[in-house]
Amino acid sequence: MPRLTVDGKEVEVAPGTNVLEAARQVGVEIPHYCYHPGLAIAGQCRLCMVDVDKVPRPQISCNMQAAEGMVVHTQTERVVETRRSIMEFHLINHPLDCPVCDQAGECWLQIYYMRHGLYEPRMADEKVHKLKAIPLGPHVMLDAERCILCSRCVRFCDEISGTGELGIFNRGDHSEIGLFPGKTLENAYSGNVIDICPVGALTDRDFRFQVRVWYLDSAKSLCNGCARGCNVDVHTSRRRPHHNQGRRVARLKPRYNPDVNQWWMCDAGRYGFGWIDDESRLLAPVVRSDGRAVPSTWDDALSALAAALRRHRPEEIGVLASPQMSNEDLCVLKQLVERLGLSNVDHRVPPATPGDQDDLLIRTDKHPNTRGAELIGLGPGAGGLDGRAMLEAAAARRVKLVWILHHDLARSAWPASLVERALEGAETVVYQGTNANASSGVAHLVLPSAAYVERDGTFTNFAGHVQRFRTALDPLGEARPDWDILTGLGRALGFTDAVFGAERADQVFQALAASVAPFAGMSYRALGDRGLGVRT
Amino acid sequence: MADAARPEFTAEQLAEVQRLQLLYPDKRGALLPVLHLAQDAFGYVSLEVEEYVAGLFDLSPAHVHEVATFYTMFFKAPVGRHVVSVCHNLTCHLMGAKTIVEHLQRRLGVDVGETTPDGRVTLLTVECLCACEVAPMMQVDDRYEGLLTPDKVDRILEGLR
Amino acid sequence: MAETIFTRNFHLADSHTLERYRATGGYTALDKAFRMEPAAITEEVKKSNLRGLGGAAFPTGVKWGFIPKGSTAPKYLVINADEGEPGTFKDRYLMERDPHALIEGMIIAARAIDSHLGFIYIRGEYVQPWRVVSAAVREAYGAGYLGKNIKGSGFDFDIVIHRGAGAYICGEETGLLSSLEGKKGWPKIKPPFPAVKGAFGHPTIVNNVETIASVPHIINRGAEWFAGLGTRTQGGTRLYSVSGHVAKPGVVEASVSITLRSLIYDHCGGIAGGRKLKAVVPGGSSAPILTADEIDVTMDADGLKNVGSMIGSAGVIVMDETVSIPEALMVVARFYAHESCGQCTPCRESTGWIYKMSRRIVEGKGRKEDLDTIIDVAKRGAGTTICAFYDGAVGPYVSYIEKFREEFEALVRSGTSA
Repeated sequence: MPRLTVDGKEVEVAPGTNVLEAARQVGVEIPHYCYHPGLAIAGQCRLCMVDVDKVPRPQISCNMQAAEGMVVHTQTERVVETRRSIMEFHLINHPLDCPVCDQAGECWLQIYYMRHGLYEPRMADEKVHKLKAIPLGPHVMLDAERCILCSRCVRFCDEISGTGELGIFNRGDHSEIGLFPGKTLENAYSGNVIDICPVGALTDRDFRFQVRVWYLDSAKSLCNGCARGCNVDVHTSRRRPHHNQGRRVARLKPRYNPDVNQWWMCDAGRYGFGWIDDESRLLAPVVRSDGRAVPSTWDDALSALAAALRRHRPEEIGVLASPQMSNEDLCVLKQLVERLGLSNVDHRVPPATPGDQDDLLIRTDKHPNTRGAELIGLGPGAGGLDGRAMLEAAAARRVKLVWILHHDLARSAWPASLVERALEGAETVVYQGTNANASSGVAHLVLPSAAYVERDGTFTNFAGHVQRFRTALDPLGEARPDWDILTGLGRALGFTDAVFGAERADQVFQALAASVAPFAGMSYRALGDRGLGVRT
Repeated sequence: MADAARPEFTAEQLAEVQRLQLLYPDKRGALLPVLHLAQDAFGYVSLEVEEYVAGLFDLSPAHVHEVATFYTMFFKAPVGRHVVSVCHNLTCHLMGAKTIVEHLQRRLGVDVGETTPDGRVTLLTVECLCACEVAPMMQVDDRYEGLLTPDKVDRILEGLR
Repeated sequence: MAETIFTRNFHLADSHTLERYRATGGYTALDKAFRMEPAAITEEVKKSNLRGLGGAAFPTGVKWGFIPKGSTAPKYLVINADEGEPGTFKDRYLMERDPHALIEGMIIAARAIDSHLGFIYIRGEYVQPWRVVSAAVREAYGAGYLGKNIKGSGFDFDIVIHRGAGAYICGEETGLLSSLEGKKGWPKIKPPFPAVKGAFGHPTIVNNVETIASVPHIINRGAEWFAGLGTRTQGGTRLYSVSGHVAKPGVVEASVSITLRSLIYDHCGGIAGGRKLKAVVPGGSSAPILTADEIDVTMDADGLKNVGSMIGSAGVIVMDETVSIPEALMVVARFYAHESCGQCTPCRESTGWIYKMSRRIVEGKGRKEDLDTIIDVAKRGAGTTICAFYDGAVGPYVSYIEKFREEFEALVRSGTSA
């Protein structure tokens, strides 16, 4: 393990570590553009230069392996001057687009100019002009003038998505990033090039001109689009509700997790947050009688549900839990199910169109917590009915109360006629979820769930990795986290178990850790930002 | 009839492509020779030619486009039956390249970069062809012509059909 | 100095043929080399003080020694025949008139570095030289000098001729390798170095045409003889390409110890038309310019380095009093802007900008501060790039203005343009 010194600080690093990363480990940030730890070394921007003892000229630190006894200086006068020069070179042909460029506020030309440039500009000739505002694909917009030709996007398409759509054409200062004429950037991961572009050359079409980044708040969360559980940051616009067309969630950005998604996320997940601020969000409990939907209160709604559950025998009740629900939600639901002696319980609803899967991130299972549902045990009890059988029993009026959590049965692979007959046949249909859908439309009792970005919780991904998601927003309207609805229901049913008295998500998680073996010993603190694997 | 819009190598040409690809440790090494072959066969390296050649190398078209746009000898648009490339680098400039270029522009009635309307000659200026001892000089198709004077240029042009 | 090595047969119409080459002692060095240990060949070349004749003047024997010892990876010998440095044409002459010297030199070098596959990367515009070299390679195969078990030695060596397609940067060692691999001619970041990881990821030695053509002579007549022909730090004769305002432009073979004055006045007939010498570019356009007072310098690598210039490709461009240096700068700046590969930022962005400024100056729209801006920008970029192309551009950018400042100042107005 080579030991070296950076700006006087000693650090020991793994063999093969480059000097830029070694410096980072002791808190020395060396400015750079083209280097990215997830991509091959390019050495093109020349910004990451440092001085090294016994080396006559400054060298780029991204391509220099840390060696035993190396003495690195990142703040010599010569290095500082070199950085200033390199900043000037980068800005020679760069258009003064800041007022109209989405990257403003998170642009590495701006940031590094303020930190390392601050020279008087002297380029007074006509700048090189290139194509601007070119859509490359459904998600990515190119402004070739702004491009600093760091080649990160080209390397991403070659090395990560493996699709090779992007290239750098021509020579000299007429070099230009682009697609083969006539082609589009349509791979499943195209949005990642926007993240890695240090400047406003590649920007997000969905986010274009919506809200300035300095108005955004951020929360560490997860993508709920499939069983991978890519780590994300949820960026919300709360301070400028008149921007972003009033939508609270502005965008999702991947968050680095070496064990789950590295630096990346897929486009389906990245752009799949529209449901959170959609007008189909359920905002208040609703009771439907004689075909009329009447807004209700939580107290009334929970009392009504408690009464309905008490009214029927356990075998007359069917519960369709959801792998969209968090571990906490499922933990409380499991307790309820056991206390009520219910055995017609399931969480598996086959989708009408099965999802695709690839070697990178995307999983066929489009739910974030199937593994959690399995481990916590939301399946049929002894002699109990599975999902489909529940519906058939409901159609035959043997199951009288169907409690659907989060599923839109019209989108399932189950025959539409079966679903229709089941929902018609059941005396009481309860729907609990975030958005209105065909199933909620015929429910007698609708309970609005808070979206996962509106609460704390955890999901268990396909590999058994338990990860936290954190509150990014307040729940919309009267919506409540599922675990909160369910503890309230428990209390309405008169149950006095400790878990039904929980007031915070982490308390529920504590109960989960204490009662379900794979989660033993876990806590929110232990999970941190990267998560932990379940015990096998 | 295969051309730059509908490129397709003959069986013979494909055999040559394969032969070239086997000469290199990685078949990609044959890309430049095959693009030369394609330009000779189809007249110029059109986008269709790039995509066709990309298929022969299992490369994305974008990467072939990178190569085609990087090198000056691959023409991206049709050229005349003859290409006249006048050097305008240092020694040729010292020895009167400007006069030769202006003379050619007048004689041919085109600007640098253009082709005569009858498709006979494309006029280009290029960087050092490394024949400075006979400056000012130009490349006419495959051959070098040096010690140019306006008269000599006229004689050379006469020989181009 | 009377001894000529390279040009001894240039005057003969059939100098490029195998027959003439053999009749004048060709392919005898090969026999000798096959009886030597590979390491001994390298040692001999080291002792000869042969330095790279393409531009970098790196000691050739030392370069061969960089191949990792005991490596079982395939090794490649690549000949840089992408002659492109303005003012240089000597490799063209060698290829057209003595291609077998190159071939024989390649086989000997290949034996030294344990290479069995050689590439000749020849610039695309050199169609005639390509035809001559191709024919010579075919002759060599036909006579058993190439292919399997060369002349019963047990040594295999094949040559592949690879044409470029128009890019000066492919004359840069690793730019050439990228182009050979079927990519844009983008130079490679180092480390890794080509001798360790070069063409197609394998150990590679890249040498200039003339450098390799020296090798048969060194093996035949010995390192000491070769070293003695030159200076203390550089051996042999070399080919100078002389052009511009001299009475007799052309290729001149001379000891590396020759002075620039002698080259111009003794070998090339002095300034044409009896005009006065104004300036000389001594080593291809990348070499800092010399004034008429600076021509008493020896034309070896160290001689020119000591006066702040470089021998480079030994392309000598002679300028007389009629030359406008600001115009010359514009022409040269245009060249570098056109040939910048665009890979790294300092070169890509500033070569275009400096050309724009130099053109503005020639057009009478220059500003006084432009001169210092060009010099400052050039000096800030020097040493920061992936390859030495930009440092080559800095040569003229800085030296033309610094040494002919008054001529520039006469063209620029003071203050900002109206």
